[in-house]
Amino acid sequence: MAHPVPLQVAINVPLAMTFSYLTDRPLPVGCRVRVPFRGGEQTGVVVEDPQAVAVPAHKLKTVESCLDEIPPLPADFLELIRFTSQYYRHPIGQTLFAALPGPLRRPQPARWQDERGWRLSIAAQDAEGPPPRQKARHGLWHALAEPLAYLEAKAITPQAPALLKQWLAEGLVERVDAEPRLQVADGPILNDEQAAAVEAVAGSFGGFAPWLLNGITGSGKTEVYLRLIERVLAAGQQVLVLVPEINLTPQLVERFARRFPATPLAALHSGLADGERLAGWLAAWRGSAGIVIGTRLAVFTPLARVGLIIVDEEHDGSFKQQDELRYHARDLAVWRARQAGVPIVLGSATPSLESVANVEAGRYRELRLSQRAHGAAQLPTVRLIDIRRQKLHDGLAEPAIAALRRRVERKELSLVYVNRRGYAPVIACTECGWLSGCPHCSARLVWHVTDRRLHCHHCGHHEAPPRACPDCGNSDLKPLGQGTQRIEEALTGLLPGARILRIDRDTVSRKDAWEEIYRKVLGGEVDVLIGTQMLAKGHDFPALSLVLVLNADGGLYSADFRASERLFAQLSQVAGRAGRADTPGEVLVQTQWPEHPLYQALMAHDVAGYAAQQLAERREACFPPAAFQVAVRADAKTVEEASAFLDAAAALAELPEGVTLAGPAPALMVRLASRERAHLLVEAPQRARLHAFLDDWLPRLAGLQQAHRAVRWSIDVDPQDF
Amino acid sequence: MHNRLQLSASVEREADLRYTPAGIPVLEMWLRHQSRQLQAGLERDVSCEIQAVLIGEGAPRWAGKLTGQCIAVSGFIAQRGLRNPRLVLHIEHVELIKG
Repeated sequence: MAHPVPLQVAINVPLAMTFSYLTDRPLPVGCRVRVPFRGGEQTGVVVEDPQAVAVPAHKLKTVESCLDEIPPLPADFLELIRFTSQYYRHPIGQTLFAALPGPLRRPQPARWQDERGWRLSIAAQDAEGPPPRQKARHGLWHALAEPLAYLEAKAITPQAPALLKQWLAEGLVERVDAEPRLQVADGPILNDEQAAAVEAVAGSFGGFAPWLLNGITGSGKTEVYLRLIERVLAAGQQVLVLVPEINLTPQLVERFARRFPATPLAALHSGLADGERLAGWLAAWRGSAGIVIGTRLAVFTPLARVGLIIVDEEHDGSFKQQDELRYHARDLAVWRARQAGVPIVLGSATPSLESVANVEAGRYRELRLSQRAHGAAQLPTVRLIDIRRQKLHDGLAEPAIAALRRRVERKELSLVYVNRRGYAPVIACTECGWLSGCPHCSARLVWHVTDRRLHCHHCGHHEAPPRACPDCGNSDLKPLGQGTQRIEEALTGLLPGARILRIDRDTVSRKDAWEEIYRKVLGGEVDVLIGTQMLAKGHDFPALSLVLVLNADGGLYSADFRASERLFAQLSQVAGRAGRADTPGEVLVQTQWPEHPLYQALMAHDVAGYAAQQLAERREACFPPAAFQVAVRADAKTVEEASAFLDAAAALAELPEGVTLAGPAPALMVRLASRERAHLLVEAPQRARLHAFLDDWLPRLAGLQQAHRAVRWSIDVDPQDF
Repeated sequence: MHNRLQLSASVEREADLRYTPAGIPVLEMWLRHQSRQLQAGLERDVSCEIQAVLIGEGAPRWAGKLTGQCIAVSGFIAQRGLRNPRLVLHIEHVELIKG
């Protein structure tokens, strides 16, 4: 037996270290192993760790077994994990396991799927084959004279999988390597700007090049992606496409699949069953999936021959994970593009200020699409309704109701945008001032009329509404304010006969809900859509004639410095739903602050001007992107306990020149799920300086837990929310 | 503390019957009262208008049947809201006055 050698293993535990084990046969880096750990058993991955402390061999346990029939995880993937772990200050083992699909986290072997194609065997050459009247069988049989990939066979007949299985068993076909041939369906003709954007990006293939594709809503960004993907596929390479929302994935997947019918496509998002996600992940890693499309977690997909990365709606907040491993998928995607030496396209109608600043600094190149792709389509007119002087019916101003009524009469589709689900955001006692509050959070309980319960939208708590005011005993408690359900009820009364469809998280929880919505909308079975921000993102309903925005003012004067950037993006996106194709659109915004610069910019469609103004404000205040931030967050039973920990942490900081530390400050929502939260904010004008300080400071915090046992804490690099 | 009001009045207007989130029915109405009362030994005209509300199981029973009717009600009074000092009569007992 060979002499046992030590190796380092990353395990899914909250410790910022790797663990030493012995092995009696050499195991390559990236290999999944089963190891004994603290009396139990864990899955681990063999890694390199120059910082590992040497442990005497007699104290080490031995690796139980190597798990895989698949090859070891690739080096560039492990390098991405190492970078992510270091940059986001998350334990290496937890980072690695967060990035792996579920089945690979468990101590079970995994194997490649047989992705080979089929061809008629020698035995079949003498066989007669199915007669021409059996059209499907006949067609498939003759196509099999050449090697056929799975998707190509399936395109000939949906019965292909069953037939191939049968013929394989009969020895009539054999498995062979079959590279699917690229098939490209026709697309629309590009306008000059789109064509120029495609040429510019294509000219940068083969090297790292970050591009910001800044195109107004409806300018045909997706078509630019499709043309670029076509070129990448033609060169035999893969494309990684990141999208913000799960419910955008099926739509985009379908569009990609229609354009490239023979190209295997892996869709990766958290809505998939474990097995499906693993299959897609392995196909991407192996290089057999030409297009890999997914939500933020897909940024961790290994790719054998990546040629291009695309991040759609790059400004979207959902690219940042808000718990555990708090990574930003857009930022990691840029890192990956650099690592792989390929171009990356960040697309948006309302680019993030971070990306705008990167363009200004010359780090990214900008491509503008300033016209709508559809020749006749105009940007919608945006008008404000000053509700300070209006009588409101359930929150709806009379001119707004009249505008809706006109659209219903003309059989045109309207959208009422209310970014609040439920019936009313709170119920109140108007006699003593009591408001329905969540017992576990500093938040209001939202009244839902569908299940007749009060719901906390933060912790999931729900309860029956009280019969009487808990403070004064008055039973006449009233719902205050408007959510989607109340607007639905009000419009049902105000627009008799109109067909109204409400779309929010409560109505689209079912998997196929979106298909149903599309069918109804495209089939002209809907007059008025009522929806939350769910509806604002990327959905292309061709006949939207009016968009009415209610209750948007909340974002104007928030304590969160990013609130107005987000509100502007949200409203521009939702306004962009109006007037696509050949229907001119109108956007009405109900507001108490018609003179606010945000609304003025919205009316003028001045995205660039508003971004410039916001960027100037951020620079003035030394906020991101003019500075870099790290939050140390702590939560405990009381905000005092959390702050005491943070005070102790702050006391350990030796701040170098240019690095500032602020706080502890309570979180904007102090109480969440019975925990009270506070944070420290560390800031510096240069990223490198900030991280050098963290390298020095964070290791010192490890000792604090002893004295603050009841406190949970975490590091949030480049925090997005407070 | 005493808080009791008895009033005969005609119902000028009823609001639509509504329900609180807990499902308790609420019927709001506006009452007009006219009578002659004795004051310092002399008879005089009295008239007033007051908002009233009927909360609970009586509300659906009476809803839609009161406008234009003369009723005798008793209950307590309370101010309309936190910052609205107008009084509302909370009806506990209603009776139609025939004739």
